Parts: sequence; structure tokens; C-alpha cells
Amino acid sequence: MKRWDLIVIGLGLAGLTAARTALARGARVLICGRGIGSLALFGNSIDLLGEIPPGADLEAGIAKKIAAEPGHPYARVGWTGIAAALTAFRELFCPPYAFAPVGEGNSLVPTGAGTLRPTYLLPITMTAGAGLAAEETLIVGLRGFRDFQENTVALHLRCRGVNIALPRYGLEGLSALALARLMDEPSFRESLGAAIRRQMAGERQIGLPAVLGLKQPATVLKTLESITGARIFEIPMLPPSIPGIRIFHRFREELIAKGATFLMGHPVAKAEIKNGRCTGIVVQNLPLSTLHQADQVILATGRFLGGGLQADRERISEPLFALPVHQPAGRGEWFRERFFHREAHPVHSAGILTDARLRPRDEKGKVLLANVRVAGSILAHHQAIDEHSREGIDIATGFRAAEEALAP
Amino acid sequence: MTPSARSPHPPLRSLPDLCVRCATCMAVCPVSRVTPRFPGPKQAGPGAQRFRLAAEASVDDWIELCTACRLCDTVCPAGVPISELNLMAKAKFLDERGRSLRDWLLVRSDWFGEFAARFSRIVNPLMKNRAVRWLLDALLAIDRRRELPQYESPTFRQWFRRRPVAVDADRRPRIAYFYGCFTNTNEVAVGKAAVVLLEAYGFSVTVPPQRCCGIPRLGVGDLSGARTMGRRNLELLLPTVREGVDILFSSTSCGLMLRHEYGPLLNLAGAEELAGRLFDICQYLLGMHEEKRTAVRFRPAPLRVAYFAPCHLKSLNIGLPALELLRLVPELEVTLIAAECCGLGGLYGFKKEKFSITEEIGRDLAREVARLNPELILTDCEGCRMQLRHLTGRKVLHPLQLLCAQLP
Repeated sequence: MKRWDLIVIGLGLAGLTAARTALARGARVLICGRGIGSLALFGNSIDLLGEIPPGADLEAGIAKKIAAEPGHPYARVGWTGIAAALTAFRELFCPPYAFAPVGEGNSLVPTGAGTLRPTYLLPITMTAGAGLAAEETLIVGLRGFRDFQENTVALHLRCRGVNIALPRYGLEGLSALALARLMDEPSFRESLGAAIRRQMAGERQIGLPAVLGLKQPATVLKTLESITGARIFEIPMLPPSIPGIRIFHRFREELIAKGATFLMGHPVAKAEIKNGRCTGIVVQNLPLSTLHQADQVILATGRFLGGGLQADRERISEPLFALPVHQPAGRGEWFRERFFHREAHPVHSAGILTDARLRPRDEKGKVLLANVRVAGSILAHHQAIDEHSREGIDIATGFRAAEEALAP
Repeated sequence: MTPSARSPHPPLRSLPDLCVRCATCMAVCPVSRVTPRFPGPKQAGPGAQRFRLAAEASVDDWIELCTACRLCDTVCPAGVPISELNLMAKAKFLDERGRSLRDWLLVRSDWFGEFAARFSRIVNPLMKNRAVRWLLDALLAIDRRRELPQYESPTFRQWFRRRPVAVDADRRPRIAYFYGCFTNTNEVAVGKAAVVLLEAYGFSVTVPPQRCCGIPRLGVGDLSGARTMGRRNLELLLPTVREGVDILFSSTSCGLMLRHEYGPLLNLAGAEELAGRLFDICQYLLGMHEEKRTAVRFRPAPLRVAYFAPCHLKSLNIGLPALELLRLVPELEVTLIAAECCGLGGLYGFKKEKFSITEEIGRDLAREVARLNPELILTDCEGCRMQLRHLTGRKVLHPLQLLCAQLP
């Protein structure tokens, strides 16, 4: 039976990053998981730590965060590690479709809810949305496309919004994926560009739902910009996320080309533990269960949505290794009074505790599994939603977990 | 510490309430990617399921547009058996509405296959005859733009029976081969390649009696028909299994049906016993290389080929073994085609009312092939091969055929 150097459990950004990092170091890698992770849902731009104000120095901001919260996942990686992981992430994308910050640090970009959110690395299709000037901006919705409401966005951003008919009949009710696919066709995007131009009243920035192509988003952007003479930007919206799918596709292409075995869709039902080590995992595809063995394992199964953490009415648990989950003392302390409370809900910082080398540990500090590393949002002591750090944590800890797993 | 005993699957397989409506499945559905007529897996499967009552007539006629590619199942983070929900709804809808003569005929292609092969010299020109095609189109709604497969004589079974047995056959380990209908009567070369390869790997090949796996019946929601086919195959194949002989398949759709639908979906006795001994042929051969149980070295093939991964291969959850095997051929340049689903959907693509959908899905694949411009295309599924030939007019083979040609 084949033995892998590393098994990565989880197909989200943390798992994909870990697998890619390990492959670059020559490891034989198996990556598996149920579903395809949250990239297809929320993947858009790359958040690092949104609570650092735009323009402020990120290194100093992260250092401050680590000093204030020594249990934070960033404390396991440090600024040097974060920077190296982000550089590696950026190198995965070949220009023209690439990720970069706007200016030095964070920038504010519009969302499909009409709010502005802080983020760090933007794909070039979103760059023009950073620091938009409301009086010069037009928000364009597409007729029959329900996942993006230009009125809402325009109302909150205090700019003008228009809803335009698609260049062909019979397309009302199309999904985001269908629209993105049509954008890859030159004739479709050219007609759409012309339709937008007819609606313009001197605007110099145009926001569209994030459906600007799956295969050639940079080309779609260029076409629309040259026809309208304005700068075009994508606005993240309801799932599924086209920009996230682009990230997933790029990773998958790279991982398979570099020889990783990619098992998508079926859950890891069981882990085999011997003498404090994970000796193998059992992937279940009914009626069969298949054992896969490796020297090292990375757990990157995410939080509740992907099943990395499970909650019953009283307690939160980790289903695969039955790792202890750091969590509020009781159910009564999970949430604040109001859903939109100023402070983050304590339940969101529940997760797995690790030692400095990302191995799972208990509350007393005892390492529980010597050859398992934990990466991504399943880690304890972060508030990814409130502090805007989801992708940064995924990339930084995924990168570090693979380095640690393969360290001699 | 012990791994959790909790099963990742709920006891009931058809629970729509597992769905959290995250829309990940909408990111991969090939049908809703090209037409608003199908609402997509989220709506068609668990969404509509909540409103379906056994005692009430079906109202969702679009359920028939699901191609049963099962890609939705492979990405769901909640483990919802989406394609199964679709299949059950389709079965109920077609049970109520009744199936056409065409559908009755198409799913019995295994019956007339043997007959057509015997009279291939008469049948083949008829299948290409424009008047015949016009009649089939007008009377049976079998689209005349879709090439009908050509029949071959002798069939694979006849060829196998007539070939001389190797002198040392009884000293070699035995292996059984499930060839599938299409190999038997339409692509005998695939079966020949499988046998020659297996013998080169040191096996003595047997071909147990077998019937159509029954997957075409599932395509028209004929569960009892599929169950009958399954029961017969189990009777015919289990004796081989009980002799301790592994059975290999070269068609990923037949394989998926035999391995994963006889048990979990059709609930047939002995299904699990069969599944445990059933393997994809490329997976099996790759395993022999990985475990160094073979001395086979392929001759160099200075060719640029493109490999396409069939949807049902993804559902088998065994990675891309054919691609990895092809990488063992020196000088062969293999690229994975970055496209999801060929669009044919088996017999789906022959139906007049669905032809345009399969064409539209296939366009994405055709575009990728044009971009790669390979000298040869390889894929494990006969449906994908038919569709690739139809779309591109290029040479398309099973990976086994190339591997066989490169034997020393």
C-alpha cells in the first residue's frame, strides 16, 4: 500500500496552501475533504487583519495584535512567516490575473450589501473598487440576476445604480456561474460593455457583480474598460463566489500538475491513532471505506459549515480526532445580547489549541498527536469574521503547518 | 485518545434538511451553467424536496434536465446526496408521466447491441443514413445531429473466447475484467488493450459472464429495471469474487454503478462484497507500480496528449489514476484538460429536447481542447469519448490504448 509523506484533510484555502507548500518541498501529498471548502462561498479578496486602519503599517499592526493576543494563530507564525506565505500565495497567480494590495496596507472595498469592508490583497478585477468616489461611480445590476441588487448597493454607497438587460433574450434567471461563463465569450462582453456605455452619465468608475469571467477575468476587465472608458470593478456578492472559484481552480490545477492526489467530495470517516500518532485516515465512499496512510497529517477542516467543528445544544466538538475544543464554559456564554453586537460573539473564537509548532494540545499544554498539525479557521483564539483575518489565517497557518510537518 | 465513532452520514440518506443552502453545488452544476431552464442542484434537489409529497403529483418537469453527472455530490460540504434526491424525483415524475418508446429502446441498447454487432455491415451504414436519422429524429426524437455509435464484429467477448490461452496461464495470478456493453460491441479495441496490458503485468485474465451494469436505466429513473440488472450481475460476478479474484473495470460509469449504486442506492444483497473486490483498472495498475509489484516499463512516446477526467471518475473518489499512469510513459507530455463535464450525460445527449444543452456544456470543453491543441485526447469514459469526437473531430482513445501501444 502506498504511503504518503503528507495527508492534508480539508480543501479550503488552508488545506490547499498546505498541500502546495508541501509539494514545493518534494513531498508526496494526498489532499482530501468533504466538499470544496469555503472558497466557492466567500472567497473574494484576501483579508489579513482588517482592523488595521487603511494606510497603517501592517507589520506593526500584526505585532501589536500578537502582543495583545498571544494565543492568536498569527502568534504561531509571526510577521516573517505571514509575509512569506502571502508572497507564495501571490506567486501562484500568473499576471494579468493577480493579487496585490492597493497602496501599502489595507483598503476599503464595496460589498454586495452596499457596505465598505477592509481587505488586503485584491484581484485586479476588484482593484478599482478600492477608494471609489461615489459621485463618479455607477453600479450596474443585470436583469434577472437575483444575487446582486444594484439598488441596495447604490443606495448605501450614495451613487447611481442601473439595471440593464442582458445582450441576449432568454437569459433571465441565470446563475452567477452561467453569467461568468458568458462573460468569457468576446461577443457577450462586448455587447454588455456597449449596453453599459449607453447608460453612463459621465461616471468614471463602474461596479458590477463579481461575475467577470471564469477563464479570462483580466481580458473581460480590459474589454469592458476599453468600451466604457471607465474603470471597472467587481463587487463580491452572495454565494457562490466566482472570484473564489477562480482561486480554487488555480490551486487544483497546480496541485494536480505537481503530482498531488486530489480526493474531492467524500468525508474522512475515521482516523487511526497509535501511540499518540495518526497512522492513517479512512475515507468513506459508501459502501467502501479506504485507508490512506502517511507520516504526517494536517487537519484543515474549517469550522461549522464544513464540519471541522460540530456543535450540539451544549458543547462544541471536533469530530475526526475528538480533539478538545477550547470554548466558552457554557452555552449561555456563546453569544452576545444582539446579533450585530459591537463585540464579537465568544463562540467564534472556539477552536483547537496548538503548541508553537501547530500540533494539537490540551488546555494544560500537553501535545496530543505528535504528527498532526492544525491549520486554518478551525484554530482557536481568532475572530476571523470581526477582525477580517480569514484568508490570512488560512494562508499563514497552512503554509507554516506544511513547513513544520516536513521539517527534519 | 480514540477517534470518534460518530458516522459522518446520517442514518437516512435522503435528508434534504442537511442542506444549509450554501450554493456550493451551484458552482459546479454543468446544466444550470448553461441554461436557466434547470434551477440547479440546490433548488432541484433539497430545495424542492421539502415540497414533494409521495401522494401528490410531480410538478417539477425540469427535474428531467439533470444529467446525473453527480458533480454536486462531490462538492457539498454538508454531505447531502443531491443527485440521489434528483434521481428519486425524476423517477417519480417519469413514473407518473410515463416513459417514451424512445427511452424504452435506448436503455435496452445492450439487447440490440449484440444483434447490431452481428449485422454491423448492414446496421452501421443505416446508422449513418440521413433518411434513417431523419426518421429517428422525427419519430423517436433521437437527435439527428448526434452521431450514433458504430457496431463492431466480432464483439469483444467473441474475440476473447477465440484467442489462444497463454501456455503458463494457470501459473499466473488470476484477474477478472468487466468490459461493459460499449467495449463489447462498439469499442472492442479498449477491451483488447485491457487484456494485453493485464497480461503484460503478469495476470491471467478471465472474463466472467456479465450484463449491462444498469446505469442507463437510472438515467430514465427506472429503479426497478436497474435493480433487476444489478441482481443479475451480482449473481454472475459474485462467484468470481468468492474465488478471491479481483474484478477490474475500464468504464468509469459502469464502475461507479457496480461499486457505489448497487449497495447504497439499490440496496442489493451482496453489493458490498462485490464492491470490495472491484477496482478501476488504472487505479489497480498504478498501485502495482507504487508498490513495485511490476517490472513493466513503457516505451517512450514523444506525443503531446490531453487527458480529460470524466465526472463519474470523480465520484469514484480515487484521484486521477490514468493521468498518473500516463506520466510513467517517458517523453509523453500529458496535460489535464481544465473543463468540468463533457455534457453528454450518456443517453441524455441523444435526446432531441436535450441536445442543445449537451452542446452548450460541451462548448467549454471544446474550447479548452482547441487551446491545448493536443495530438491525441485520452479519457476513461465512453460517453466522454463520443462527445469529444463529436465536438472536436479529433482522435480520442481510452488511456489503456496508449499504454498498451507503449508496452515493450
